[in-house]
Amino acid sequence: MSLAREVYQALEAVVGKRWISEDEFVLAGNRVKTPEVPFTYHSADAIVLPETTEQIQEIVRICNKHGVCFVPLVSGVSAEAFANRPGTVLIQLSRMNKIVEINETDRYAVIEPGVRHVQLYPELRRRGFSYTAAAVGPGGSVLANFTSSSGDHHNQHNASRSNRYLLGAEFVTPEGEIVRTGSLASGAGWFCPDGPGPGLRALMKGYFGNHGQFGIITRIAIALLPCNGPAEIEQEGISPYHKVRMPDPCSKVFVFNYEHIYNVRDAMLKIGEAEIAATVLKYFYLPATLMMTNSADEFWEKWEGGYKEALSMPLVVHLAPRSEAEMEYEEKILLEIVEETGGKRIPREIEQWWDEHMDFFMIVGRLQSVLRLGGGWMPNKLASDSVSHICEVGASVNALLSEFTESGKLFDAPENYQIIPMEYGHFAHIEVLIMWDRTNPAAGRGVGEYRARSRNNDIEKSFHAETPGSLNVSTEQIGPLYCDANVWLRKIKESLDPNNIANPLI
Amino acid sequence: MEKLKKFEYSMDSCNHCGQCKWILPPKMSGWDFAEICPIHRYHRFDAYSGQGLLNISKEVITGKLKIGEGLENVLYSCTMCGACDVNCKNVRDIEVLETIQSLREKCAKEGSAPESLKSLCANVEEKGNIYGFDAEERFVFLPENFSDDETSENLLFLGCSVYTHPEIALAAIKLLKAGGVSFRIFKDESCCGAAVWRGGYADKAEKIIKANVEKLRERGIKRIITPCAECFGAFRAIYPRFVDMDVEVFHISQILASLVEEGKLRFAPMEKPMKVTYHDPCMLGRLSEPWQPWEGEIKPFGRHEPEKKWRRGFDGVYHEPRAVLKAVPGVELCEMPRNYENALCCGYASRKTDPEMSADTAAERMREAASVGAEELVSCCPFCIDALGETGKTVELCVLLAGQLEEGGAK
Repeated sequence: MSLAREVYQALEAVVGKRWISEDEFVLAGNRVKTPEVPFTYHSADAIVLPETTEQIQEIVRICNKHGVCFVPLVSGVSAEAFANRPGTVLIQLSRMNKIVEINETDRYAVIEPGVRHVQLYPELRRRGFSYTAAAVGPGGSVLANFTSSSGDHHNQHNASRSNRYLLGAEFVTPEGEIVRTGSLASGAGWFCPDGPGPGLRALMKGYFGNHGQFGIITRIAIALLPCNGPAEIEQEGISPYHKVRMPDPCSKVFVFNYEHIYNVRDAMLKIGEAEIAATVLKYFYLPATLMMTNSADEFWEKWEGGYKEALSMPLVVHLAPRSEAEMEYEEKILLEIVEETGGKRIPREIEQWWDEHMDFFMIVGRLQSVLRLGGGWMPNKLASDSVSHICEVGASVNALLSEFTESGKLFDAPENYQIIPMEYGHFAHIEVLIMWDRTNPAAGRGVGEYRARSRNNDIEKSFHAETPGSLNVSTEQIGPLYCDANVWLRKIKESLDPNNIANPLI
Repeated sequence: MEKLKKFEYSMDSCNHCGQCKWILPPKMSGWDFAEICPIHRYHRFDAYSGQGLLNISKEVITGKLKIGEGLENVLYSCTMCGACDVNCKNVRDIEVLETIQSLREKCAKEGSAPESLKSLCANVEEKGNIYGFDAEERFVFLPENFSDDETSENLLFLGCSVYTHPEIALAAIKLLKAGGVSFRIFKDESCCGAAVWRGGYADKAEKIIKANVEKLRERGIKRIITPCAECFGAFRAIYPRFVDMDVEVFHISQILASLVEEGKLRFAPMEKPMKVTYHDPCMLGRLSEPWQPWEGEIKPFGRHEPEKKWRRGFDGVYHEPRAVLKAVPGVELCEMPRNYENALCCGYASRKTDPEMSADTAAERMREAASVGAEELVSCCPFCIDALGETGKTVELCVLLAGQLEEGGAK
C-alpha cells in the first residue's frame, strides 16, 4: 500500500524532498523483525522527518484531513514505535534535537524529542547536575524517557520516578493544535508542571505515557538533580573493556546477596529510614551477570560457574556522599542493616566490577547485553506501589515463570526481576525481565501465554503489578484495577483524536 | 548456505536500540560530536545505519526486498567504517559489519554494485592500482640513488597512494633508514586488494590476495611494514580470510614507536609549539583487529559452539601513532571526543557513491578537530588525509616525523 499522491506531495511540501521517503529500502529500516511482540505490525507508507513544531502541526492536519494514521518516534526502541495498521506515516523526530535551555539557577533543562541520553547527560554533569535516565542505552530519547515509557532508573532510591520530574511541556494534538502545560501555559516559564496553567502531566504521561496517542510532545522541561561526582568522568580502556572509576570519597559500591525477597524488603525499608545511599536496587540477576561478561559464551561460563548462586537475590547499594566523614557514617549504617537483615557480601571479584564501572548511567548503558542470549526480551509487570506490596509481587514471579522455564520456552531465571525503591523507600517499582530465544518459535508463543497468565494472576490477586499505559488490549483488561483507567483513557482519546489516527493501537 | 544467510541470527538479534548510531557512554562529551555513524548523521533515516542495513539484509534473504531496486543507495552510501560494529559489540554478539559486507558481496555478484566500484576493480585487475595509473610509473618518484636491501626479509609495502602521495612513501623510507631498519621494496608491487574486497568483489579480491601472498612466499618475506592504514588493515583482517599468511604485519607507527623507545630515533623540536590532534583511521584502528575465523553453530540462548572469538575493535593500533607524536618536542597532542575505537570516519570511502555525505562527514571531523584547539590534524591514512585535507590543515604522520628527524636520525 502506498500513500495517495496528493497526501505524499502535501507532506513533502511541508518538510522538503530530502526529509520524506516512501522508498521500500528506507521503510525497511523501520519495519519490525520481531513478530512475537504483542502487536500486529505493518509497513509504514512513508517516513517523514520534521524539524519544527509548526511542521508537526501541518503534518498531523494533513493526516487528519486524509484519514492517514501516524506514529511518532525517535529512536524506535519501543514496541509501540512502528506502524500498527496499513496507511500509516511514521513521524520520526530525530531532527528536532536541540537542548533549548539549561537553567542552572532554577535547575531544569528544556529539550526537544531528538536529544539523546548520551548528549544530555554529559552537558548536565559538567554543570553539577544529573537526571533520571532509564536503561535504554546511549541513543535513547530523553524526552521519550520522561513522556512515553516507564522511564524508571536505577538511582530512584534517593530521588523519584521520571514522571515526578516532568515540568512544563508543549505538545501538538492529533488535530494540530499546540497545547502548553503547567507554568508554560501562562507564560511563566518552564519551571512547574501543574500551574499556574493547566496541569496535564497525568494526561501526557500518567505512569507510562501514551506513545503519541494523544498527540506529539515537542518540547519538555525536566527537573534536574544535584550530582556529587566529578564534572568529567575519567575512563580508561578500549571497548568492550572500558573502566570508569569514580574518585574517592564520592563513590563506593556494595553488592550483597540474600536468601529471600522479604529480607531484601526489610533491608530496603531500613536503608530508606536511615536516609543513606544514592542507589538501592534489587537487581535482575541475569543482567547482573551478563553486564560483567563480554560474550554469551563467557556469560555461560560465569553463570554456570557460580554467579547464578552468588547473585541469586542481589542487592546493589551505591553510596555517593559528599565527604569522607559521611561515607564512613553511611558505610557503617549500611553494614549494620545488612547484618541485621541477613545479607551476605558477594565475592570481591564480582563486587569489584561494579566499582570499576560506576557511574550508574554507564552501567545501565550496557543493559542491552541481555540481548546476547538469543535476542528475545520483554519487560513485564512494570508497576509501583509500597515496597512491601511490590516485594509480594516479586515473590509470586517464580511460580508463574516456572512452567515456561521448565519447558524451555523462557530462559530459566525465575528471580530475574528488579525492584527499585523510591524516595527513600516510600514506594518501589518492579520490572520482570523475561527472556527467550527468538530462533525457537515455541518460545515466541510462550511469551504471549506467560503475559496472559501473569496479567490474570495480577487481576485475581489485586496486584498492582502491571500498569495502564497507552490505550491497548492490556490496558483494557487491567483498567478496572485502576479506577477504570481504560474508560477514562478512551474518553480522552475520543475527545482529542476523534478520527483515531494517532498511534491507534486498538 | 548463502553467505548472507549465515548472519540471520545477527539480523534477528538487533532490536533497534540505536547503539550503532551513537558514541559509547564512556566517550560521551556533550551534545555535539555524539554521533558515530556517518550515513545516519547525514541522512537521518534509520535505514541509513548498521541497524537499518541489518533490517534490509533480513528482507533480502526473505525475498521481500530485491537487489537492484534501490537498496544499493543505502548499501554503498555506507563507508564500511565499522563504528556500528564496534559499538554494537560493546554489548552484543552481533556481526553488523560482516552482514553489510555479505550484502555487498551479494550485490556485486548480481552485478548491482555502483559503476565507480566496477571501474576501481578493473583498474586494480588491469593496472595493479585503484586509480588506473600505469603500473610502470608506480615508483617513478624514487630518487635515482635510492637503494633497498634486496636480501631483506622485511617488505616495505607502500600501497597505491604512492601515485598521489609519494611524499608519504619518501618519508617512510627516510624514517626506516634513519632507524636502521633493513627493508626491500617490490618494484612490481600491486594493490593490496582492500578496496576491491570492501566493494563486495570477494572473488576478485581473493585472486589479488593470493597473487600477493605468493609473491611474499617466493621472495622469502617474513615481515610486512606499511605506512598505509588501508593496506595494514587488509593484511591483518582481510588476507587471513583467504590464505594462511606466515608473515608478521606491522604498521610503520609500530616500528617507529619501538625505535623511539629504544632511543634509535630522535626528533628535533618543532620550530614553534604546535597543537595537533590524531585521527584514528578506521582500517588502522578498529578494523585492523586480526581476523578470527569461526564456523559452528549458534545454540539456544546465544551459545556459540565452538566458542567464538569476537572482533570487537579492541586489538587495533591506537597507541603507537600517539606515542611517536608525543616524542616530537613541541607537539602537543589533544584528543577529539570521538577517538580510538570510537573515531568518526573521514567519509572518504563513499566519496564516489555518496559525495555529499562524504564531504559533510569530512567537514564534521575537521570541525571536531578545531573544537579541541588543534592547529593541524595528523593521520596515518592517505585517504583520510585526502578527505580531511579538503576542509582543513592535515599532515600525514610519517611526513610530520620525517620533517622533524634529528640531524643524523639515529642516536
